[in-house]
Amino acid sequence: MTSTLDAAAGAQTTPAVLPPPVGRRAPARKRARADPGVVALGTAVAVVMALLIGYPVLSLLSAAFAPDGLAVLTRIVTEPANHRIVLNTLVLGLIVGAVGTLIGFLFAFAQVRVAFRGKRALHLLAMLPIVAPPFAVATAVITLFGRNGAISNGIFGIKGDVYGLTGLVLVLSLSFFPVAYMNFRGMLQSLDPSLDEAAAGLGASKLRVFFSVTIPMLVPGFAGSFLLLFVEAIADLANPLVLGGDYTVLASRAYLAVTGDYNTSAGAAYSLTILVPALLVFLVQRYWVSRRSVVTVTGKPTGHSEPIRAASIRVPVLVLVGGVSALIVTIYCTVLAGGFMKVPGVNNEFTLDHFRFVLTGLGSKAMSDTATLALIAAPIAGVMGMLIAWLVVRKLRRTAALLDFVGMLGLAVPGTVLGIGYALSYITPTTLFGVQVLPALAGGTAAFSGGIAIVMVYITRSLPSGQRAGIASLNQIHPAIEEASTSLGAASGTTFRKVTLPLIQSALVSGLTFAFARSMTTLSPIVFLTTPGIKIMTSQILAEVDSGRFGNAFAYCTVLIAIVLSLILVINLLVRKVIFRGRTHSR
Amino acid sequence: MVALTVVDDPDALAAATGLDARDGSGRISLSGLSKRYGSRPDDPLAVDSIDLVIEPGEFITLLGPSGCGKTSTLRMIAGFEVPTHGSLELDGSDMIRVAPNRRPMSMVFQSYALFPHLSVRENVAYGLKLKKVPSARLHDEVDTVLTIMNLMAFADRAPHQLSGGQQQRVALARALVMRPKVLLFDEPLSNLDAKLRVQMRNEIRRLQRRLGITSIFVTHDQDEAMTLSDRIVVMNKGRIEQVDVPDVVYRRPASVFVADFIGRATFLDATVVATPSRGRTRIVALGTEFETASHDAVTAETDALLMIRPESVRLSGRVEADDVHDDVGRVLTAIFHGDSVEYEIETDSGTIVASVSDPAVDDILRPMDCVRVSIAPDRGWLLPRDTTDDTGVVPDDRSTQNRRTRTA
Repeated sequence: MTSTLDAAAGAQTTPAVLPPPVGRRAPARKRARADPGVVALGTAVAVVMALLIGYPVLSLLSAAFAPDGLAVLTRIVTEPANHRIVLNTLVLGLIVGAVGTLIGFLFAFAQVRVAFRGKRALHLLAMLPIVAPPFAVATAVITLFGRNGAISNGIFGIKGDVYGLTGLVLVLSLSFFPVAYMNFRGMLQSLDPSLDEAAAGLGASKLRVFFSVTIPMLVPGFAGSFLLLFVEAIADLANPLVLGGDYTVLASRAYLAVTGDYNTSAGAAYSLTILVPALLVFLVQRYWVSRRSVVTVTGKPTGHSEPIRAASIRVPVLVLVGGVSALIVTIYCTVLAGGFMKVPGVNNEFTLDHFRFVLTGLGSKAMSDTATLALIAAPIAGVMGMLIAWLVVRKLRRTAALLDFVGMLGLAVPGTVLGIGYALSYITPTTLFGVQVLPALAGGTAAFSGGIAIVMVYITRSLPSGQRAGIASLNQIHPAIEEASTSLGAASGTTFRKVTLPLIQSALVSGLTFAFARSMTTLSPIVFLTTPGIKIMTSQILAEVDSGRFGNAFAYCTVLIAIVLSLILVINLLVRKVIFRGRTHSR
Repeated sequence: MVALTVVDDPDALAAATGLDARDGSGRISLSGLSKRYGSRPDDPLAVDSIDLVIEPGEFITLLGPSGCGKTSTLRMIAGFEVPTHGSLELDGSDMIRVAPNRRPMSMVFQSYALFPHLSVRENVAYGLKLKKVPSARLHDEVDTVLTIMNLMAFADRAPHQLSGGQQQRVALARALVMRPKVLLFDEPLSNLDAKLRVQMRNEIRRLQRRLGITSIFVTHDQDEAMTLSDRIVVMNKGRIEQVDVPDVVYRRPASVFVADFIGRATFLDATVVATPSRGRTRIVALGTEFETASHDAVTAETDALLMIRPESVRLSGRVEADDVHDDVGRVLTAIFHGDSVEYEIETDSGTIVASVSDPAVDDILRPMDCVRVSIAPDRGWLLPRDTTDDTGVVPDDRSTQNRRTRTA
């Protein structure tokens, strides 16, 4: 669930690559001069990125292709049991991709095009999964629809079996559809209403316009969303662990290999089989699908189109959207209420024990540890994202695409892969040509009980959202504004500080916000890096769910959502008021 | 409209604050300046070895169609583009290696490029703050420039609260306050409406004369070029076609391209009948033999074209349709402009565009009317036909050639 954050952040601002502002030829935008400051900055960013993502991924690759790992890779190809796992993973990815894309499209279409009341509420509902931790949905679904489910057993009296593919599809689709929703919402808003009017003027009915104009324009959106959801689904670890039952997928197999069999090489090998398709899909999505988009997303609605009132479209869309919304509401109410029940779904007596445990007991350390590390990581990720965006859009030429790609790897590389890569790289001191360059960063014996590695993972995972938001907003700023600053005597760095940064402050805020939310709710890379000295909320939730203490898990989830929401508020206020003294502007 | 008029005596204010102190500096010389955007040697040159010397205090316009290299040239002077070859000097010192922010030049952008997060005053003060000018002096200088530009009333507004004309004035004020040796204008008036454009260009010209700052102005608008410049540099395909004062560029264009790009022109086939001497040549055109001013490159053997501006064509009296003479033409179209009527007239030598100013209602010709056509004395200009043809002139095809007459 957590990995929706980056994609959603990106989708919010730019589902497709933005065109450069009109009025200036492309080559004129970039300076040919190799500014020494830019070279130094670029080198520094490259070194940091190598540490954050290059080295861990390389370690993983070398472990996967070492004799131990190679043996596992061979077994994945030869053994039927492994075929089953690979097939499970693919089936899950395909179904979730399709279902999630469809839900996302329906929500976006209803939001943008269909006439009904409560659009704001629907939008918030669609965004809720982004701030919610993993397990919230899965645990609630078990409580509602499991063997003793409050709905399945309690109302309908059936011993539902939600474990396995059905449950996973339900939970993953509900968790990941916001990515598709944001994507389609942006596209639908930028579709020129005059196209519809033109079609209607030529004699097409509303339904006909929908199928002959709207849908064809959105084909790249469908392809892009499907691919993103596919990757999210095959890379997800949290939900298969809780809800998978016998339905083993590659991510959970890799996790078991590392934590159960203590065979990190095997884990590396399994996760390599997720990494390859994930990277492939990422590349296809980014460099192929987005180029085929006929919808130019400028961030501004192009006009006002009359909302659809025709019953032939309105009724089915609203019924479906209403049904899914009801399900989401039920699930999050269960999360909220479950924290106050002795044994949710079984013994619904009111209790404050779970919250006492989370707020004052063992959980309070997890709370403060997680928030501290996330607070350290968020500003670093936000600023680095902006810096990379600035280098990519304004300063670099040939290396721009490469840097952009490396920055986005934090999103493209599945969390499980990243976590195992970090475990392989940083549990022992890092050496270069036999000389120790870094002490151990991860593991219980490292400094700050391995907190550094966790912060690094947070940064890596959060960076892309800031980067995307920064690139989108820089593309909206005419390069002449920065040239004007240069012409008045400012060097590159001064221009960035005095002109560029204030202008991309809203992107910076959203970058920081998403970075924080993402850090707080990320699980898959973290489970490989937690130590006795550092408690992370998400992995604590996993432990509670594992031992069946759903009440505690629900209380954790509620508290986590509350922390994320309130800190998002605080970050917004701080960044606006302190750093930029509340100055407002409009472009 | 308050903001559009300069304060009563800005000159006195400028003089009092020393803003117009001229020190005779600001001579720019370009030699062999070239720019290629691609990295391969066979990529075309956007700017192809330009040689130009701009004198201190001079107002120079780079004029040409889009893609002619004028903006690239300006951006190389500003330092935003690095020349592929050639040298660029300001008052004798090399500028190529000087970073754009260290060149004593200020640029005014087409999009104004005001900092949207700063107020008008902060925008103007931006450059001085970077120079670490003491705050008292900074305040004075900003106030002076704001007063000269009549912007004091808007000093604390944000740029987006100003009209286009006001924004343009802020951009100009922000450049002027730096007391640059050179002012660079990148089509600064193209986002303004027609009336405002005329007002602003008069104001720019007045300020520039007053302050004596060397100015380089890029535009594709010939009116702007004519009214603003000391000299016009006409560019085409990365090369300079002609550098001269506006009236010479208009009356005696160096090439068919220039004649065609600046103003409107009709080109008639002309036969040279005598060897040119001292810039004059006897020719036969429109069925008459007469003497006309001619380009230096014209010789007795030249395949020559006679350029005529529409206002130099004389139409005298309607004639009957069967009165066939070489100098009789038939009106094809008549367009009434108010202060003038423009005709397209078909003659044996091709279609001629004629403009008759201050027409009386009864005198306006109708299509199919026939008139006698002549050229005002000494208004023709004889040019060699372009060998490197890029203006659409197809030799030996009179009708195509004459259809090219166009509204610039």
